[in-house]
Amino acid sequence: MDDPNPDNHGEFFDQFLDDYYVECDEHLVSIRRSLVTLEDEVDAGAIDRALLDNLFRSFHTLKGISGMVGLGEAEQLAHHLESYLRELREGSLSLSAPGFEALVAGVSLLESVINARRNDQAIPSIHEAVGRLQTISSGPESAVAPAKRDSSTNESTRIRWQVEFTPTAELAERGVNVNSVRSRLQELGQLVQAKPVVKGAGEIAFEFIVVTDADEKDFTGLEADGLTFKPAPIEQAPVTGRQSVPTIAPASVVRVDLDRLDELMRIIGELVTSRTRLDDQLTDLKRVAPPALWRSLQETSLTVGRQLRDLRESVMRVRMVQIGEIFERMSFVVRDLARESGKKIIVQLSGGETEIDKFLVERMMDPLLHLVRNAVSHGLETVAEREAQRKRTEGTLSLGAMTAGERIVIKIADDGRGIDRNLVLERATAKGLNPGDAEIDDGALLDLICTPGFSTRDEADRESGRGVGMDVVKKAIEELGGRISLATNIGEGTTFTIELPLTLAIAEALIVSVNGQRFAVPQSAVREVLEVESASTRVLENNEIISYRGKVLPLLRLARVFEMDDQRGANFHVLVLGEETNAVGLAVDRILGQREIVVRAIKDPLAQSKGIAGATELGDQRVVLILDIGALRHLATTSRH
Amino acid sequence: LPLCPHDLAKSQRKCVSAEVSDKLKTNNILVVDDSPTMRRMVITSLGALGKVKSTQAGSGLEAIERLAIEPVDLMVLDLNMPDMHGMEVIGFVRSHQAYRDIPIVVLTTKGEETSRTEALAAGANRYLTKPFDPRQLADVVGSLLNAS
Repeated sequence: MDDPNPDNHGEFFDQFLDDYYVECDEHLVSIRRSLVTLEDEVDAGAIDRALLDNLFRSFHTLKGISGMVGLGEAEQLAHHLESYLRELREGSLSLSAPGFEALVAGVSLLESVINARRNDQAIPSIHEAVGRLQTISSGPESAVAPAKRDSSTNESTRIRWQVEFTPTAELAERGVNVNSVRSRLQELGQLVQAKPVVKGAGEIAFEFIVVTDADEKDFTGLEADGLTFKPAPIEQAPVTGRQSVPTIAPASVVRVDLDRLDELMRIIGELVTSRTRLDDQLTDLKRVAPPALWRSLQETSLTVGRQLRDLRESVMRVRMVQIGEIFERMSFVVRDLARESGKKIIVQLSGGETEIDKFLVERMMDPLLHLVRNAVSHGLETVAEREAQRKRTEGTLSLGAMTAGERIVIKIADDGRGIDRNLVLERATAKGLNPGDAEIDDGALLDLICTPGFSTRDEADRESGRGVGMDVVKKAIEELGGRISLATNIGEGTTFTIELPLTLAIAEALIVSVNGQRFAVPQSAVREVLEVESASTRVLENNEIISYRGKVLPLLRLARVFEMDDQRGANFHVLVLGEETNAVGLAVDRILGQREIVVRAIKDPLAQSKGIAGATELGDQRVVLILDIGALRHLATTSRH
Repeated sequence: LPLCPHDLAKSQRKCVSAEVSDKLKTNNILVVDDSPTMRRMVITSLGALGKVKSTQAGSGLEAIERLAIEPVDLMVLDLNMPDMHGMEVIGFVRSHQAYRDIPIVVLTTKGEETSRTEALAAGANRYLTKPFDPRQLADVVGSLLNAS
């Protein structure tokens, strides 16, 4: 059919843009993962075929869907990347270092092009990258055709099993299908063949060949699902060409818009609030209700509470993504920086499977990038410097993650030169920051370098930090309810440790009162709670202090921060916030209890106030403000000077 | 996207799909592509045909499993897929009595190694390329369903 205007489908395909970006992200993640593995194969002469197939297919799909949404630059770029991969796959080219660089550069640009479209920015030019890929594809380096590594070699001691699966609608309803069977077989051993066959009566079956150490009894569990198995006939033809070896298992995964999960979390939050209200009402009821009835009501309420927690945890799990994805991004940034600066760097990743809330991951991207860039530009030395110090030529940058209870811990460590305290002190003094006595520990050092406007190297910082300073890093982490700490030794390296809550929406909090007004303090920020006699406080240089564990703890009166009447009783409570020497005591009148609170941000700029992070609703439907501990600590430290 | 609105009727062209969909019982179209976005695009385009039901498969093997489980009236088939290439799917379908009459529309990315001639020789009924025109796809599918 003749379409008078071939471009008028644009609007039609616009409705798929969100799907498009999601799928692009998935492929880019998978591509980056493959490239990390592929890097070891540069000049190796033999490349894992499955790896090339995966890469090829990702580029192919990106090309196809980019064409559909009319993003021609991405389509073309993906096309050239695909072509290069095809040559590698067919063995007409071997993977050279320049080839790999062109591939990496092409992928980065592809990502920029897609992001530019997503953010309505000007699409970067792809001319140079395409030229580079073309040069490499047609270059003279194809002298040696690589021998393809046969990934199914070492199978002499293993047995080949032939498994047959006949799909039916009933099995499919039970979730037993060609994909699930294949995944199960892949767990047993290496799947070397998966092909459909038609049996006598015209019914379809699938024949799998598995090479495995597993013995017969491992297969018996499969019989219940209509699978039959027997040792495979020896004369099986080797798997070649298009006869495909299964590589990926597109498991039953659904994509969900984060907004929808937020909505779900909001509803759960309301349930939590209602439960709290129920609890309060139960307490009132205790005096008048018959004890037996009251106890059974109480029990039901407790059960509901437990079930709510389970529900909340399940939804939280849905929001979790593996942190490995951003670690891989970081390792690409390091590659680029290392090449630009001529440093040799080995990146070590660990705990990539650690899960973290999707929202947190996105917020942590820039701070992590900044720390990684800092480690490369300031922390790690050049090859010459390292050799002079008899250190290994290659610097090591390690990124690790782990969960610890309700928190996730991320470590960024380098084995570089460490932070020079004297230099920082000099700098601080020059900037008029008055760092105080000469001996500063890691915590105080961190506070200094996180002071707005502080930077030991303005020039390099601009390059390495891209406009984000350490102050912004610290603020971002604290806004997420997390904290950052530092350990550094001259000549040995620097480690930044970031602790974050697993999720944001619901938190444990202490409810405190000041002057009859209630506030919620995120429990994760509180190290200890003290009861203090008013008479035991002292005033030093206009600061109120108490002694705490043999040291001095500066007090911050919440009543004074919020300019309320400072009525003092004989006793008050102090919440100890922050680490060791940087600790601050938050003075409040009373501690009312511990509650699970639903955090709601205050979005109205008129209602925003320094020291307040958000609001929550307790059982009695009154709004309680949540304190912004990061900002309060900042207030405390600045008011000291 | 309305497939056959009044403005199209104004042109002399006959509105094939509307006629077709009037006559049809609900047809089951199997959409095979490893990209979920692409599958949604295809299914949404086919929605213009009215009385059709779409079934999806993300790989060649899955496509053949669908054939075993439910009657399929037509396949829209991508070529370059994991597990089993589209050409293998065509080969399988055409060589077995029970399925050999199922019309197959190959929908593949421009510049694919497999040429139109190869795909048609293997037994594909039509060969379309991506980026595709949603109306053209619906028309091609509609007329194949009408003919079978």
